[in-house]
Amino acid sequence: MRFEPKIVGFLCNWCSYTGADLAGTARIKYAPNIRSIRVMCSGRVDPAFVVKAFAEGADGVLIAGCHPGDCHYQEGNYKALRRYLLLKRILPEYGIEPERLRLEWIAASEGERFAQVVNEFTEQVRKLGPMNFKDSLFESMKNDVMIHEEHAPQGTGEQR
Amino acid sequence: MKLKLAIYWGAACGGCDVAILDTHEKILEIADMADIHLWPVAMDFKYAEVRAFKDKYLDATLFSGAIRNSENEELAKLLRRKSKAMIALGACAHTGGVPGLANMYTRGEILDRVYLRSESTINPEGTLPAEEFMTNSGELELPRFYNTVKALDQVVDVDYYIPGCPPASLQIYSALGLIADDMLPKKGSVIGAGDRALCDECARKKSEKTITKIYRTHEKLPDAETCFLEQGFICLGPATRSGCGSRCIKSWTPCRGCYGPLDDVKDQGIKMLGALASVLEPKDEKGINAILDTVVDPLRTVNRFSLASSMLRRKKT
Amino acid sequence: MKRIAIDPITRLEGHGKIMIFLNEQGAVDNAFLQIPELRGFEKFVEGLPVEEIPRVVTRICGV
Repeated sequence: MRFEPKIVGFLCNWCSYTGADLAGTARIKYAPNIRSIRVMCSGRVDPAFVVKAFAEGADGVLIAGCHPGDCHYQEGNYKALRRYLLLKRILPEYGIEPERLRLEWIAASEGERFAQVVNEFTEQVRKLGPMNFKDSLFESMKNDVMIHEEHAPQGTGEQR
Repeated sequence: MKLKLAIYWGAACGGCDVAILDTHEKILEIADMADIHLWPVAMDFKYAEVRAFKDKYLDATLFSGAIRNSENEELAKLLRRKSKAMIALGACAHTGGVPGLANMYTRGEILDRVYLRSESTINPEGTLPAEEFMTNSGELELPRFYNTVKALDQVVDVDYYIPGCPPASLQIYSALGLIADDMLPKKGSVIGAGDRALCDECARKKSEKTITKIYRTHEKLPDAETCFLEQGFICLGPATRSGCGSRCIKSWTPCRGCYGPLDDVKDQGIKMLGALASVLEPKDEKGINAILDTVVDPLRTVNRFSLASSMLRRKKT
Repeated sequence: MKRIAIDPITRLEGHGKIMIFLNEQGAVDNAFLQIPELRGFEKFVEGLPVEEIPRVVTRICGV
């Protein structure tokens, strides 16, 4: 059974989500692994969204926004870029490959490009393998169990 | 009717207990309103006595310290059963605290360093702590050292949190007052602290933030009045709950987040990262990377007291 | 052999327990002090910036 990565995509409403829509209406095929979430601006993407996606089972996260200079809200995409670059430094400290997070500028007219990015990123994450965050956390805690349970007895005490 | 209290500690330093004692003469008021039935640092009650209590005999347990080994978990579960309310006291119980930084390493790496490699340890036989050990006279036990540090609410149901490292003494006193007067807010609340960020309490002057360089705290002298973050010092004020009296700020040192996150924030460190990235000035990749190069040890700075309760909990193994 | 546990030891900072083994005559055969705690500061301070160390290692003991 081939590993099918789960990719979560945060796409900005004005550019990249519209670009993804264009890929759809133009019937351009692209890997179905991406779960797209529309945000109004890539600057809306709180780093917590990215980390939560990984914690909840995503193998890869894509953030897509307007090209620099074209942000509908002027500077939101620069904020996204700063958060992205900071996250790229934090993820390896947590033991997560930074290549699992990707940021792309995709314009409303770039349907082809959206499809190409998704296909490329899906293959890249496929090569990295499953993140298996929940499983690895469970593994790392599986021996963390009480061994002298008589100290926390189940019966009700008699006194007082 | 006096309250029946237990005050206990997991992987702790005793600072929270000292914070209770630092209420000074108010300890007499506390002694008037409560009978303490377990407080290892100050009183000679034994675990066997607690095991003999009926369930919910105690009105409240103040539990400080993180869950680091099986004994911490056993006592947390024992006290949970024997108490009407379980209160996490201090940063370690609230979010894992400083001991949570051990989640960057594994159990094996820690035991190896402590018992085998540390420069001041002489252990030629390579003895490590054993969960069961047979002596000539009989068997001894030690708890299991866990691989991952946990906050209190990751092992038992917690009713209230009193945050801080340590919590300000007057805040502990006022929280005990809420218990005594039966005026506690809804279950799961943080008490003895504010509900706004530290910046709200901080007296330093804040204006537009566009940071061009991050400085380590020894790299330059801060000025007396301006916000630390604006001067380029990492300060976790924006992502930290108020209530401490901004004691670190008043000591000319930036906040490291010991009062934990604000309401509805799951991961204090990641929240701080988002805030930090928002106020940096550069807009191009090269400029951003240049300023990020000056941020040393980002993960353990933003998660200094909260690594164990962050979304990812520990370094992935 | 009978075993008496003093658990926990009290009125000091830290966790500890004392196990006393008595022989058939009721005399002490052996006694052990055990410290059932470890946090691993020696390991997790590795890699921290040196100017942050004072605020970390002060959490070894709050007393």
